[in-house]
Amino acid sequence: MNIQEYIESGILEEYALGVLNEAERPEVERMAAQHPEIRRELDEITRGLDFYAEAHAITPPAGMRERVLGGWQQAIQQTPVQPVAAPVMQASAPEPVAPMAPVSGEAVVRQMPLENPGSGRTRWLIAASVALLMLSALGNFLLYNRLKQTEANLEVAQTEQSRYAATQQAALNERDQQLRVLRNEAFQQVELKGTPKAPDALARVYYNAKTKAVYLDVRNLPAPPEGKQYQLWALDNGKPVDAGVLASTTATGDSIQQMKDIASAQAFAMTVEPLGGSASPTLTTMTVIGNM
Amino acid sequence: MLPVSATTPESAALATEELLVQRLRERDEAAMTIFYDKYSAALYGVIFRIVKKEEIAEDVLQEAMVKIWHSFGSYDADKGRLFTWVMNVCRNLAIDKIRSRQYRVGSRTQPIEESAALRQAAEPTFRPEHIGLQEMTRQLNPEQQQIVDLLYFGGFTQSEVAEELSLPLGTVKTRARAAIKVLSKLIR
Repeated sequence: MNIQEYIESGILEEYALGVLNEAERPEVERMAAQHPEIRRELDEITRGLDFYAEAHAITPPAGMRERVLGGWQQAIQQTPVQPVAAPVMQASAPEPVAPMAPVSGEAVVRQMPLENPGSGRTRWLIAASVALLMLSALGNFLLYNRLKQTEANLEVAQTEQSRYAATQQAALNERDQQLRVLRNEAFQQVELKGTPKAPDALARVYYNAKTKAVYLDVRNLPAPPEGKQYQLWALDNGKPVDAGVLASTTATGDSIQQMKDIASAQAFAMTVEPLGGSASPTLTTMTVIGNM
Repeated sequence: MLPVSATTPESAALATEELLVQRLRERDEAAMTIFYDKYSAALYGVIFRIVKKEEIAEDVLQEAMVKIWHSFGSYDADKGRLFTWVMNVCRNLAIDKIRSRQYRVGSRTQPIEESAALRQAAEPTFRPEHIGLQEMTRQLNPEQQQIVDLLYFGGFTQSEVAEELSLPLGTVKTRARAAIKVLSKLIR
């Protein structure tokens, strides 16, 4: 086979990815040993894939180092080292298999006479088996519990995540809408400045004369007294028209609020009213006012 | 933290790797601690990427370390870097894990698991190491990235990728080759 064709056949990639079987691997290794171009190509592929792996490195969770190294040590002390002939980079290297007992049944029978220390050994073996079985059952039970707990935790996490996503989506939609208002030329800005009662108070109304929509953006407002709430009024030919009460997040300036639609207005003002608002403004509590 | 040959001089990296291999061959248990410090971030990162659950990734890493220890005799330094070999052991164990019946049954009861949204949200915290990843993946076009991911993290053969994506095998091979070429060029 032409070397270039061999390189392009994709077999080197499969080799590096470890998906070739035992029969296919030596052939690739032989070709690489014979042809420097193939060797170079294979090295390059391997480097590329190693780099890909390294780029995915993440810091393991805290405490993992002790757990993994501890678990590893325990595991290797339980299973003694056995010579393995697992081929390199195999898709799934076979587990080391303990040498099988002699196949001939006769041999087994012959070596287990009935009346000698062997029977005590048998009894001991049975006891050990029972103990192991019980241990295994206990282990299964513990693992099962852990599995259940993990599943429950996962479910909670997933519920929480979807709830969080929904909240975030809603918040995002709201921000989008606010941004549309702020960018829309049809909205006229009305600065509401503090009255002598609250000289630092500041708010801004966005009014769309065409759609009649009113948005309110609070910059700074003193906290309303206990049991009171801010209410926005539109002044149309000197007559106050209720434009709605301010949500607490609006009053603190955390969000922009859409107020009631107003057919026509020349000015806007805010007063402090009992919770739920009033039918007509309490003029003595007027906090901010501004003309269009 | 990263065993990146791109950032450490190749020769120095080789020297310490050789030393580590020698100690592991001599069954020096303390060497496994060095092994862990050197490779765990990369191994854990790839395993996590495959199994997508921290707890399982940790189990797979531990299992892999036991396997590496027991079958270290089959590692042949002439055939490749230690990193390549151990990474393949980890990847294979992780892929076996997600293909096992038990794992799939467990996952099926949580369909949200498979949603693309969750897959993206799998990073719970900002990880500065990932800047390199973003940098790298920007160099691959989406088709290339998809194929490399299926090959590397999915354990697919090129034929299986072709079937999965309904593409001609030749196209898959060309894209895979081109993608891996891009990756190896990035190291220089």
